[in-house]
Amino acid sequence: MTAPPPPGSTAPLACATHQLSVAYRETPVLRAVDLRVPAGVVMGVVGPNGAGKSTLIKAMLGLVPPLTGRTEFFGGPLSRARQRVGYMPQSASVDWDFPTTVLDVVTMGTYGSLGWLKRPGKAQRDAAVDALRTTGMADLAHRQIGELSGGQRQRVFLARTLVQAPDLYFMDEPFQGVDAKSQRAIVTVLHALRAQGTTVVMVHHDLATVTDYCDHVTLLNQCIVASGPTVEVFTKENIRTTYDVTTGDDTFLDLIA
Amino acid sequence: MTPAEFLGDHTFRMVLLGTMAIGVVSGALGSFAYLRKQSLISDVISHAALPGALIAFLVAAALGWDGRSMPVLIIGAVVVGTLAALFANGTTRVSKIRIDTAMAVSLSVFFGLGMLLMRVIANGSFPGKGGIQDYLFGNASVMTVADLVTSISVGGIALAVMLVMWKEFTLRTLDPDHASVLGFGARTIDAVMFATIVVAVVIGVKAVGLVLMVAFVVTPPAAARQWTRTLPGMVALSGAIGGVGSGVGAYVSIALGNIPTGPVIVLTLFAILVISLVASPRRSLVTSALARRRARAAVTRELAMEEGSR
Repeated sequence: MTAPPPPGSTAPLACATHQLSVAYRETPVLRAVDLRVPAGVVMGVVGPNGAGKSTLIKAMLGLVPPLTGRTEFFGGPLSRARQRVGYMPQSASVDWDFPTTVLDVVTMGTYGSLGWLKRPGKAQRDAAVDALRTTGMADLAHRQIGELSGGQRQRVFLARTLVQAPDLYFMDEPFQGVDAKSQRAIVTVLHALRAQGTTVVMVHHDLATVTDYCDHVTLLNQCIVASGPTVEVFTKENIRTTYDVTTGDDTFLDLIA
Repeated sequence: MTPAEFLGDHTFRMVLLGTMAIGVVSGALGSFAYLRKQSLISDVISHAALPGALIAFLVAAALGWDGRSMPVLIIGAVVVGTLAALFANGTTRVSKIRIDTAMAVSLSVFFGLGMLLMRVIANGSFPGKGGIQDYLFGNASVMTVADLVTSISVGGIALAVMLVMWKEFTLRTLDPDHASVLGFGARTIDAVMFATIVVAVVIGVKAVGLVLMVAFVVTPPAAARQWTRTLPGMVALSGAIGGVGSGVGAYVSIALGNIPTGPVIVLTLFAILVISLVASPRRSLVTSALARRRARAAVTRELAMEEGSR
């Protein structure tokens, strides 16, 4: 996992799904998804609302039971790679009026390596402080989490994932509800991760920035429309198919080009 | 009655220590129910404790044991109370029924079963069936030394489990999905957490009664949240509020004469909650109204000055 793989090669995979299908009740959300994420790439997952982007990540991580199929991480099941897999959920997924500080939340990222019953100590808190520094949040370490802005919340979650030092990141819309300053801080971290050759799978909403942030992209609408290096698959044709846009509606597509 | 007279009396001492122990344990463990937005789970548990205690009574009577002893009550109530809590949560997980409805259904079904059993026992000839009605509204004055020792040790075990599993409880309460991804099984943590909350509820059923026990679990955390900024602070203060509120309530109920203890404690805890809502520094209704008024005055003044300088 050091250098990005040359295009077209059979590079080692950070993770892959095989025939992954998910349904809520009888409504199918994902149909037989075969996603292959080469090690060392930043993979953007884009698609319209209801395309199953978040569900795909959650199903891969075992948070949503799949109807069919399985997911492999570094060639094995998740249970054998938990330390190497980090998850940054949408910040709306927790109640921010919880009596705790930014530092305590970020320290929780180290709990996986501690295992059951062992308590976090100085080493874990130091790691958390480092992660807060990386995300530009060191000054707010002792702030109540309820007093943070939307962008700061995302950076807390990013720091909590960083502190785990995983080889593979899953990020669910890290730029959701984020102001320019936080966006810059998150992008800086993203570029640093990319430079280190860390793999990132990121649900992303803003088509205009896909080419800037992502080496690879997966266009998803219940099934994979296209997946591969951004330069190859992020085409008007594929986007039109994914978003079900009529050929005449080129103002929409011009946003991207 | 002077405090010396009060503490000199064996029954009063039992009432005081017993209710304080209940208050500390349920206050501390209730914090987790509060933060998981499942405060009412304690009401489900306490109502389900009735059939549990009565089934245990029937089993014990059949075996020739004392059916109303605290260990028998606790075992039966813990088993059935845990079932009721898991039933409510399981219903929400597998169906589209929301947790409030699921809790109400669970509460009424188990309580209905309890009322049936109560009638069966009342009609039958069981030794020691007198006093079974006390499970509804509680009777602190019948606490024995054995009851007290059992309450304190069982409650102490629940608190110890909470301390040992502190990291897991916190993680699961703040962000369930994150806990799962890190490899901490949700089912395991939930089972242990609800078991400790069940213990916190059932140790109060004999003295306080199942109807009012919910106040012991719900009120102290709500009050403590107003004053604290960290989870350890909240749990400690909530336990302290539960203990002190129970002690004060028990003393007042006895000092005023023939007044039931449970209701007085509930009113005492409510008074503490009201004070906390009004007077706490950061979350108080009064200080936030004052701060708002000050801010408005400041802005108005600034605008007037800008107007004047123009």
